Amino acid sequence: MTRRRLPLAALAALAAGAPWLVAAIAPGQQRYIVHVLIFTALFAALALSYDLVVGHIGSLSLAHPAFFGIGAYTAAILATRAQWPFLGDLAAAVLLAGAVAAVAGIPLFRLVEHAFAVGTLGFALVASIVATNWVEVTRGPLCITGIPKPAIALPGGGALAFTGLPAYYWLALAALAAVVALYCGMTTFRLGRAMHAVRDNEPLAAAAGIDPLKYRMLAFVAGGAIAGGVGALYAHYLAVFCPEEMTIALTVNLLVIVFLGGVGSLRGVLVGAVLFTALPEVLRLAPTWRLVIYGALLLLIVIRSPEGIAGLLRGAAPARRGA
Amino acid sequence: MPLLEVRGLVKRFVGVTAVDAVDLAVEPGELVSLIGPNGSGKTTIFNCVTGYLAADAGRVLFRGHDVTGAPPHRVARLGLARTFQQVSVFGRLSALENLLVFAQQHQEEAFWPRLFRAPRVRRLEAQAIERARALLDLVGLGARAGAPAGSLSYGQRKLLAFAAALMPDPELLLLDEPAAAINPTMINQMKDHILALNRQGKTVLLVEHNMDVVMDISKRVVVLDHGQKLAEGPPDAIRRDPRVIEAYFGR
Repeated sequence: MTRRRLPLAALAALAAGAPWLVAAIAPGQQRYIVHVLIFTALFAALALSYDLVVGHIGSLSLAHPAFFGIGAYTAAILATRAQWPFLGDLAAAVLLAGAVAAVAGIPLFRLVEHAFAVGTLGFALVASIVATNWVEVTRGPLCITGIPKPAIALPGGGALAFTGLPAYYWLALAALAAVVALYCGMTTFRLGRAMHAVRDNEPLAAAAGIDPLKYRMLAFVAGGAIAGGVGALYAHYLAVFCPEEMTIALTVNLLVIVFLGGVGSLRGVLVGAVLFTALPEVLRLAPTWRLVIYGALLLLIVIRSPEGIAGLLRGAAPARRGA
Repeated sequence: MPLLEVRGLVKRFVGVTAVDAVDLAVEPGELVSLIGPNGSGKTTIFNCVTGYLAADAGRVLFRGHDVTGAPPHRVARLGLARTFQQVSVFGRLSALENLLVFAQQHQEEAFWPRLFRAPRVRRLEAQAIERARALLDLVGLGARAGAPAGSLSYGQRKLLAFAAALMPDPELLLLDEPAAAINPTMINQMKDHILALNRQGKTVLLVEHNMDVVMDISKRVVVLDHGQKLAEGPPDAIRRDPRVIEAYFGR
């Protein structure tokens, strides 16, 4: 147990101390690197919420950008037009995205396998078209601008404002930690076992007394709600949110992170998020060949380890498994 | 009152009446076999009783509850366990976890106590693990508890599925061809397990093609042909029944 916790604690300390580390190592580049780190944390949280659906109940949903976008627009609109406080618009983003997932999930889960994937793809396309064309609410291609940096009112009367980049990084990291905790709670023990049973063999799961639809909905709604929350953080961070942010391109990114990282594996998805958010940035050093190298690396991973990087890690060091 | 009562069950597939007005009753403590040539509707009856297929007519009563049209998970939770003809396990879960899945929904299923691993749920889990280990030992899979179920042999998976069905201590056990496609040693093992269960008071309804098994262990045999009940009675009478012989061997 301690052998496992030690590297975890070290990793957490490293993540928390990253802004100082960056400042010490590359003082000139600090802003840029911390910016990439914020993106990494947000994408890791988003990818984990996506993995709840694709990895743990085995339903290939392509609807995730819709929930991300709903959360982002909810927070952005409430913050800019109704002057809602940050925690209020964040909660609204989580709740609305979760509620939409619940309403959309009922008809979508009448579909199975490929039909489900196509159905969710249609849902994501409709959501993105609405975001582009419902100009009265979303301002369409003009984007929602001037989204304030988050601030949390403190009981004493002051406020905790996340204006600087490192502060925002810690906020994103705290959000990621919360998502990791929820992800672990949901994917292990009895909840996780019920979801995995539905994924592995749905008729047999029903024979065990598990209501398959209930667990599919649980993962879908929880995943959608988390995606909405990440969307809110993303919009507050960039101060601008445009319809292009919630297109199918985002699904492709998530698929790369989850499937090349390691579907259904916390470690795999986290490594995937770090690699596939940071890697394209690192490759900016070779602008001409950037996308070629990126594409070649993706192919290499798919060929060498169809189970993703988590599979490679498992192969390198046999996992210690408790019964 | 019968434990399971099927009245006038009808199931049609496009152009075929797979089950044609079948009545069937299983009394508590019985060991009944359902036999018949391929396509005579045995598995279809199982699927209608356990909620996997919707019957076109007729009623299914289990422990006095009308379960006609109830979804499979609800029927299972009333204490009706079933196995499947094709070996059915959760391939990526360990053998032990395969059994735990079958206990947990019967014990509790609230979201928050599970998420936060409430002490009560932990206690139930510990009990379930203890029972699962005992059942794995019973079917001779104790040493493979940690192995992914997908890595077990066909016969082992069959025994695992059998043990899993026993996990929630069901009132009635529906076994769909437990002795099919496994080696003779394992067939005998399976036979002994079923007999032992029945002696402990468990009610068993069996679909099986292996006549040795059926005639050896059943108290009562129900013969189906073309979706209709052809004969019913103790094994010895069934063995000599001319209608049964004709259905099986032709004129």
